[in-house]
Amino acid sequence: MRFHTFVLKNVVRRRVRSSLTVISMALAVGIVVALVGVSSSTVRSFTNIYDRQDVSIIVEQRCAKQRLTGVLDEKLGDQIAKIPGVKGVNPGTVDYTSIEELGIDAVVIQGWGAESPLMQRLDIVPGGRLPKAGERRCVLLGEGLAEALEKHVGDKIPLLDNGKYEVIGIFKSPVSYETRSMVVLLPELQKFMGRPGLVTGFAVLTDRPHDEADVQRICGAIAALAPGLSAKPAAESVRSTTEIKFLQAMAWITSAIAIIIGIVVMLNTMVMSVSERTREIGILRAIGWKRRRIVRMVLIEAFLLSLCGGVIGTIGAVALTRALGHHPAVAGLVDTHISGGVIAFGVVCALCVGVLGAAYPAYRGAQLLPTEALRHE
Amino acid sequence: MSSISSSGSRDSFLFRTERVSKLYPDGQVHAVEDVSINIRRGEYVAIMGPSGSGKSTLLNLLGALDWPTSGEVFFDGQLLSKVRNPDRIRSQKFGFVFQSFHLLPILTAVENVQVPMFEGTLSAAARVRKAKELLELVGMSHRANHLPQKLSVGERQRVAIARSLANDPIALLADEPTGNLDSVSADGVFELFAHLHREQGMTIVLITHDEQFGQLAQRTIRMQDGHVKSDVLSERRRIRTPLPPFAV
Repeated sequence: MRFHTFVLKNVVRRRVRSSLTVISMALAVGIVVALVGVSSSTVRSFTNIYDRQDVSIIVEQRCAKQRLTGVLDEKLGDQIAKIPGVKGVNPGTVDYTSIEELGIDAVVIQGWGAESPLMQRLDIVPGGRLPKAGERRCVLLGEGLAEALEKHVGDKIPLLDNGKYEVIGIFKSPVSYETRSMVVLLPELQKFMGRPGLVTGFAVLTDRPHDEADVQRICGAIAALAPGLSAKPAAESVRSTTEIKFLQAMAWITSAIAIIIGIVVMLNTMVMSVSERTREIGILRAIGWKRRRIVRMVLIEAFLLSLCGGVIGTIGAVALTRALGHHPAVAGLVDTHISGGVIAFGVVCALCVGVLGAAYPAYRGAQLLPTEALRHE
Repeated sequence: MSSISSSGSRDSFLFRTERVSKLYPDGQVHAVEDVSINIRRGEYVAIMGPSGSGKSTLLNLLGALDWPTSGEVFFDGQLLSKVRNPDRIRSQKFGFVFQSFHLLPILTAVENVQVPMFEGTLSAAARVRKAKELLELVGMSHRANHLPQKLSVGERQRVAIARSLANDPIALLADEPTGNLDSVSADGVFELFAHLHREQGMTIVLITHDEQFGQLAQRTIRMQDGHVKSDVLSERRRIRTPLPPFAV
């Protein structure tokens, strides 16, 4: 029998103890991966919206921390478009609406021009189309929202002034925030909000979106157009909005709590699992095993158990969040895609905490005199 | 019976204690106090005495399983408290047999016997080969692949004895090895000790409550209240009566 075979037998043949340890580790890792994963994915999906659309700059009213409350003259868009390096300007208005008849609350509704760059970039599902300029009472639904509403192209839904709006297209998006939103033509949303000729902001596309200096230069030029204008690079603008800050704060606190609970559970599991073996450590010490060999044995076992717990917990977390992501209560609102980084973090966290948790009682047990360890109950 | 005197040069003794005392931190009573004994290489010594007399503590001190509060313990001329690696002495020089066997429950008999060998230099194949030979020696080769829970208590103790012999020790230290055994199994274990002593010249130091088994040893050290009450050669040693043949 080789030493590593002995260690493996220790894990495999102690089925109950190994299973309980793996289950506890898996639960702890699962909690961390699920909560940290969902939190970070949701925040990331928001911050990535503009990246995906190649939007370089967001122009808003200064001091309007919530995008919904900003009010800017739509005509500013023409002046922005004349700045060298600007490729396109997308005036837009955003609001929340509810469709009470269908039991849907707080749906994001965007108002864009028919020819605006963002409207033209929508990925419309075959069978649908984009609206024409001047067309009335038409709406584009995000795929997730259409699924939740069980609506298809050609169906009608009560919207805004409770008029019947025809679904003329359904658009795809990998971003949960977008897929659960809807788009109408800008004039209709302006009219409903009582803000004709006004928008909540502009999305600006530039010729060199990855040239930070150029983006900053254009931001300065836009800000100089009128007092009270705020022009920021898209990612910075998203991060500074109250909604995102709130979301990030929630994600941070959720992740922090999950990590703390997870680490405590993992540590407790491994400390208890190894502490129970003090007597066995005493036997091995009595028959002449060196302290180093005993610590090595326990650490290899802890590594194997933590690896199993980490992998099972991660797979469980990914499967569970995906399954729960289809529930109508969260579908489209919460991004349940767990990134590779979070998965790696969960497994590495399990390995580090598991091995660290085992190291202390293993070291303590190995330091005991064999007679003390043998007396241990 | 005759009393033992400390004749002979100091280094001719395998074990030697000099005014050894052990005071456990949780009490004010000495488990052993001011004990000086010598044990020669190849001797078969029984330590006897009532519970709490300090027998096990003395055996633990001899076997480097514990350290004295005062006094010195020598093994083969080396002061144990100065030995850099007492684990190595325990592993290579001593074989331990415990009252409750202390086999690892997840390992089969043949695997249990190999556990001490990890501290040696044998290859994996050689470890298996040797473990089988030792099980053969203790009459357990037919139960080599059984887990301890599938063995009788007597069989478990035989496997434990085979394990204690794994690294060819000079001395076998046994703490009430028959304390949990029925009389038939106990007879078998003592026959085994007698065989190891007779055929391999092994030094055996064992603790027993049983007067009959105590008499099988060449020498009996009786303890009381942490002190050596008597230390005598048995009749068997003096008239050199042949020990019973080993049988399994």
